[in-house]
Amino acid sequence: MKRIHSWGLSAIAALLLVACGGGGDGDQGSRVKYTAMVSFGDSLSDVGTYAVSTIAAVGGGKYTVNGPAGKNWTELIAAQIGVAAPCAAQTGLNSIIPSIPAVPVTNHAGCYGYAQGGARVTNPVGPQNINTYPASPDGALGQLTDPIVNQISRHLATVGGSFSGTELVTVLGGGNDVFMNLAALGAGLETPTQAVTAMGTAGAELAAYIKTQIVAKGATHVVVVNLPDVSQTPFAYSVDAQTQGLINTMVTTFNAQLASGLSGTNGVLLVDAYTQGRAQTANLAQYGITNATVPACDFTLMIFASSLVCSTSTLIAGDTSMYQFADTVHPTPYGYRLLAQYVAERMALNGWL
Amino acid sequence: MDGCDAMATNPNKQKGHPMKHAFHKLALVAALVTAGSTAMAQSAGTWMVKGGVNNIDPHVTSGDLSPPSLPGSKVDVKSATSAIVTATYMVSDSLSAEFYIGLPYKHEIVGAGTLAGVGKLGSVKQVSPTLFGQYRFLAASSALRPYVGLGLTYAYFYGEEGSGALTALTNPGGPPTTLSASSAFGVSPELGVAYRVSDRWFIDASVIKTFVKNTTTLSTGQKIDTKLDPLSTNISIGYRF
Repeated sequence: MKRIHSWGLSAIAALLLVACGGGGDGDQGSRVKYTAMVSFGDSLSDVGTYAVSTIAAVGGGKYTVNGPAGKNWTELIAAQIGVAAPCAAQTGLNSIIPSIPAVPVTNHAGCYGYAQGGARVTNPVGPQNINTYPASPDGALGQLTDPIVNQISRHLATVGGSFSGTELVTVLGGGNDVFMNLAALGAGLETPTQAVTAMGTAGAELAAYIKTQIVAKGATHVVVVNLPDVSQTPFAYSVDAQTQGLINTMVTTFNAQLASGLSGTNGVLLVDAYTQGRAQTANLAQYGITNATVPACDFTLMIFASSLVCSTSTLIAGDTSMYQFADTVHPTPYGYRLLAQYVAERMALNGWL
Repeated sequence: MDGCDAMATNPNKQKGHPMKHAFHKLALVAALVTAGSTAMAQSAGTWMVKGGVNNIDPHVTSGDLSPPSLPGSKVDVKSATSAIVTATYMVSDSLSAEFYIGLPYKHEIVGAGTLAGVGKLGSVKQVSPTLFGQYRFLAASSALRPYVGLGLTYAYFYGEEGSGALTALTNPGGPPTTLSASSAFGVSPELGVAYRVSDRWFIDASVIKTFVKNTTTLSTGQKIDTKLDPLSTNISIGYRF
């Protein structure tokens, strides 16, 4: 507090301070009162579907740097709007890796975090699903990858077929459709054009599910985050420029179909994480990011090379607290905070916060 | 207004006490007033006080919230109205010193720039005691006395409160973001006019532009600089001793 040199001002100010009291947090409430958060999507929104078995034992379970501060954007938004912390609606693991024993699939009543690592929009087989094994050795992990379309129908089944209208619903997907189509391309099962077309189809399907299975079923506040630019990740930086360009086209094609499908839909707030993410990459200092190319997790210290099993005790040397990426595609807690901040800004501008 | 008129029977006394014992003297008094007494009103050595209302309307030029932030994150500060009291001493028939103080103002802070429309980011209270040097035009006895002034203002900010939106935009889901606004000195040119309605009572109105800037610091470590430059508009009822 500044020193006030005049005794007169000092005395008057002191009187007024006594009369009026000090400051504080102010009203932290949201303009819209939500009763719950319901999240559909993939690893970027997963709050612990695979926080079981050895994954839980090593302190993992979320696709970031796991630990007390290891929250993804849906958890941050839930805390911000004052609803219960989201919990995984389903847990389990179909692992065939001896050191990571399989865990039966279990549904958790009252938990509305449906997003699952590896989940695609419609196709039930995503990255590290057991059905990708043995063509993909990583499939041995046995992620459940229940697709978004199923996630929504499972929720509707548990709540009597309709949303109450007081939930904040979040949807973020499409990334695993990129990875699976790239894998199909790499295996010679698809042409680049087919891969791009498949992404457009997935985007259109996601828009249709949101309209017919979420909004038409009574949801009034649906935050749809479009697909961040997968071509600006350490994963994409490790492939050739032509593939990087293809990835970008796949992402933009998906986003274009998603946006046109949702255009004019009341109750939907489409958040352009693609453009925001590119803006962050182009101006790291503005967002306090110290590194956007190197993963913060040290894969040599982890039981496999995914942030799902990364924790604060498996980080590379140095201060990685402001790194963008935990692994080759997933954000650090700081990266998620930036995403949550942008979602929050868009919600506030829309009168939703 | 018997008392006021009665005062006029002792125009040279600074501490005159009303004499009210004779109604018939009033006619004479009134005659004297209208004839024009030179020593009443705002003459050298006179003390005056005023009480009134003042509206402070900040004309904010906001910097950008420092990183890590969304580009173009700016703020605006809404106007506030509160009671003022002033004390004035006539150094000469034309020069006066006037001290402004009043009850606190509470201003709402809202988003601007790319944050225009996010709603309330917080609030801040302030008191801005100001000491003016003034020059009053026309004769001390004139009923209407326009004046100009130049003041030194100390804008003292306190009682800052954040909001859910502020937390959401700076540390979503984290502990509530609080803010602290630095206090600052400013320069305040003034235009005003006093109109005598009776020997002792007058009405006074002025507009004051204050040039003041400060810095607000958030608990997240971010800062934002603002030129506040408020325009104050006030009207008061005054009494001279």
